[in-house]
Amino acid sequence: MAERTVVFEIKRQASPDAPSVWERFELPWRPGMNVISAMMEIAGNPVTCEGHCTTPVAYDSNCLEEICGSCAMRINGKARMACSSLVDNLEQPIRVEPLSKFPLVRDLQVDRSVLFENLKKVKAWVPIDGTYDLGSGPRLTPQEQEANYPLSNCISCTCCMEVCPQFNVETGFVGAATIAQVKLFNNHPTGKVFKEERLRALSGDGGIQECGYAQNCVQACPKQLPLTSAISDVGREVVVQKVKDWLKS
Amino acid sequence: MATAQPTSAPQLQRGVEPLRAAEGSSFLWRKLHSLLGILPLGAFLLEHLLSNFEALKGPLAYGQQVYFLNHLPLVRVLEWVFIFLPLLYHAVYGVSIWLRGKSNVVYYPWAGNWMYTLQRYTGLIAFAYLIQHLWRERFTGVMLPENPYYAFHKVQMELANPWMLAIYVVAMIAICWHFSYGVWLFAAKWGITPGVTARRRFGYVCIALGLLLAVAGLASIYAFVGPLYPNAPVPNL
Amino acid sequence: MATRKIIVVGGGLAGLSAVIKIAEAGGTVDLFSIVPVKRSHSVCAQGGINAAKNLKGEGDTTAQHFDDTIYGGDFLANQTPVKAMCEAAPAIIDLLDRMGVPFNRTPEGLLDFRRFGGTLYHRTAFAGATTGQQLLYALDEQVRRFEAEGKVNKFEGWEFLSAILDGKGVARGIVAMNLRTMEVRAFPADAIILATGGIGALFGKSTNSVVCTGSAQSAVFQQGALYANGEFIQVHPTSIPGEDKLRLMSESARGEGGRVWVPRTPGDKRPVRSIPEAERFYFLEEWYPKYGNLVPRDVATRAIHKVVYQLGLGIDGQPMVYLDLTHIDHQTLDRKLGGILEIYEKFVGVDPHVEPMKIFPGMHYTMGGLWVDFDQMTNLPGVFAAGECEYQYHGANRLGANSLVSCIYGGFQAGPNALRYAKDLPVAEGDGGAAAEVARQSEINKKLLSNEGGENPFKLWRELGQTMTEHVTVTRYNKGLQAADEKIVELLDRYQRINLSDKSQWANTSFAFARQLKNMLELARTVTLGAMLRDESRGAHYKPDFPDRNDERFLKTTKASFTGAVEGPRIEFEAVDTQFIPPRPRRYDAAS
Repeated sequence: MAERTVVFEIKRQASPDAPSVWERFELPWRPGMNVISAMMEIAGNPVTCEGHCTTPVAYDSNCLEEICGSCAMRINGKARMACSSLVDNLEQPIRVEPLSKFPLVRDLQVDRSVLFENLKKVKAWVPIDGTYDLGSGPRLTPQEQEANYPLSNCISCTCCMEVCPQFNVETGFVGAATIAQVKLFNNHPTGKVFKEERLRALSGDGGIQECGYAQNCVQACPKQLPLTSAISDVGREVVVQKVKDWLKS
Repeated sequence: MATAQPTSAPQLQRGVEPLRAAEGSSFLWRKLHSLLGILPLGAFLLEHLLSNFEALKGPLAYGQQVYFLNHLPLVRVLEWVFIFLPLLYHAVYGVSIWLRGKSNVVYYPWAGNWMYTLQRYTGLIAFAYLIQHLWRERFTGVMLPENPYYAFHKVQMELANPWMLAIYVVAMIAICWHFSYGVWLFAAKWGITPGVTARRRFGYVCIALGLLLAVAGLASIYAFVGPLYPNAPVPNL
Repeated sequence: MATRKIIVVGGGLAGLSAVIKIAEAGGTVDLFSIVPVKRSHSVCAQGGINAAKNLKGEGDTTAQHFDDTIYGGDFLANQTPVKAMCEAAPAIIDLLDRMGVPFNRTPEGLLDFRRFGGTLYHRTAFAGATTGQQLLYALDEQVRRFEAEGKVNKFEGWEFLSAILDGKGVARGIVAMNLRTMEVRAFPADAIILATGGIGALFGKSTNSVVCTGSAQSAVFQQGALYANGEFIQVHPTSIPGEDKLRLMSESARGEGGRVWVPRTPGDKRPVRSIPEAERFYFLEEWYPKYGNLVPRDVATRAIHKVVYQLGLGIDGQPMVYLDLTHIDHQTLDRKLGGILEIYEKFVGVDPHVEPMKIFPGMHYTMGGLWVDFDQMTNLPGVFAAGECEYQYHGANRLGANSLVSCIYGGFQAGPNALRYAKDLPVAEGDGGAAAEVARQSEINKKLLSNEGGENPFKLWRELGQTMTEHVTVTRYNKGLQAADEKIVELLDRYQRINLSDKSQWANTSFAFARQLKNMLELARTVTLGAMLRDESRGAHYKPDFPDRNDERFLKTTKASFTGAVEGPRIEFEAVDTQFIPPRPRRYDAAS
């Protein structure tokens, strides 16, 4: 019996200004194989199906257990984490492309720093007075913890932004991940000191109003964050804040 | 600083820019667009569909309804402030929203994404339809404000053209869809239905609303083209 | 002179802790990280963080935490810093709580604590089963705040290549390489702090992240820094074997009541759930009645190896045992362990709520690391180290949930100490050796790019991993260690003939990897030779030929220094600070 194999088609691009090409690889199948292990296999023997010697594929990855958020890419057209994309669950040939909404670096690597910039813009942190010992933190009910914990699970993979029809150069939309973090920090007893500021920030250009509520974010999120609910909640609070600001001005 | 190697490295392309925190006025314009869709435009749509329903009672009842509406105090002001200008704004700004969004339903054929896309296309259909509808029914031909009892006949003549009839049917469905999904979207985005369950339940309400409106709208079209009032009499001008 | 500039290398818990302390004290920091710091390996920590807060009415104390840690580490850790860490731990938890870490709560709104290995107390605070992620994010957010305020400069996507040492061997900055443009550049600083994590990549597959290569610590080791207790490698008893890595299945699974067992009949073919209770061998509970499933990791790992390899009781004859949570109710599991159960289900395709998980030990943690003094400074003046990359807090075996506290505590020490050190530092002469170091690193790059030969770095790495896993993990024999060292020497030789298939100078990941590989190989020798010389069994270091602990000869810290010679590193031994708790036999099986 012929050895079972897996066929990959990977979109390659040597640099931002180089042309992109598709390369096809055929690899021996192994149980439990995922897209990252296939890429590792290619690195050990970077030869295409046509026998053409190529370079190892450049891609971002780190933890390989879907918690660091590094390896988001488009697999068979859909944005997802490569580490948790098991080959057995994918239709072949498996087509792998970089995320399309972020500046390409090389092959499957893109620059997703915009998310981290956005987190700065909304002050996504709890402003503590200092790291010296000030005793325990505020008391929280288990229910409050259980409401916040899912929001705090965002791994910054940017899948929600990639799949969002509104996240693009035209709108400069901030994306669901940042909105969810606003909700998280506005919920925190200390973090809410910046609540008004965060809400006003989100009413700036590219803010929450750009959301078209296609709900792709919540479908694509690998960590099942309640993104649409966060958008609804924060959306209401932004409106209320703006009305208050207008009445007081 | 000591450094090796000249830097002639390739430059990354420009990506999506970060949030312009608290800057600009797009929030106001976008929310205005959203609000106008419900009030007054949604309210007017309901009124219009109810008025159309009078057509089922016959040309006279329909004419009386048109007469009533056109004799409201300050009707021309009301018409412009609460209908034409909001409509123009909602439509033009809506087109710009459509142009700036990049539908990807081909890759992500999920329910919400379909509705997102449909909301844009039904909006476009509505826009195109309303331009001709207003032009032909409100601003040209026999002036209905002055001749309300001519209304039934005017519409009937219009719908006698099978192409026109098709356009009216398609537009009726598109507008009812656009409005009822718009109500759902409004509730979701303004945080009136913040929870998944609330959104699902309100979704059923909006489906019912959309179906009701569409059926009512199609029924009144039927009043003009069906066997009820063939060749309605033309009042003397 | 202007404000003191400190460079922190590594953006995990230790690095970020150091950055926060320095920024808070008014220093300026350049933070270097290969990956965006929010993606650092600390994010993988699952179970929790230890502190004797005594919120369960058990009478827990920091002294007890200290004793458990020293005893768990088989008395190899210097006691002064460990004592200080255990005493600081409760305040660290409070601080994290104030930073907004969503720790699980009791109904009264206080922090909830769970049990972990090697202690009898509920001492582990936790945020679901993704505590490391939550802690890292909290620190990342604080650093982002300082970054927004202009107190911290982040250099993400830069890889540390070496320290810049002046004529007197004093650190004057670092040389780093931009992983996109491949530019090699010197960054001057008055002190540097390495917080570069563990060395999992030496073992090929481990529970560590891809960046945990130990390359940075190996680089400074080769520049003269001492490397201590390298032979102490923790193999975690419960990991999910995988094609690309071993995925951790947190000790918290057992902390919440998970039970480890195998069928009593070898190769039992019945479906797992139909095997009656009486025919299940809960070997940890039988062998260690007092601690049960929560014995320290080295003990549990050896027990699993014994069950599989000596008793032949692995599931279906495979090297795997059951970790069973199915007796715990669904909601409790989701609330306390949701994150890790999801990982299992995603990667294995089986729901651990209803079917026991199949697990096996996997390389997990590096107890050894750069030698540092009690101020977290290496023997190279101005080079500090904190976190997993240094050796101080865990002795011969780390207790679960102690790593997060040691990382944060280490960073909190290293930051202010580095700042204090930098204040008294005389100004460098000239460029402090920066140009020379950049030239040296560029030369290495040039050579690597122009190499002719037939070797592929990824293949060499795979061979290294196989050798290290086979000979230098759970059970060690001097013959095997000898073979491993010979293999590494062979790999070092073949390394000279690496031919990169990608010679470009833009985002060349295989080039960066090849550079790391050299450092991995050098460090692998240190680990292996350290193990070879230590003819005893202590903590995670187990030699069947020397089954007992030998305090007389080996209650000593192994200190390796790089020689560059074929014989490998020179190894000396240093006495251990045992002034608070006199060493006693470590017996988790004793009934008392």
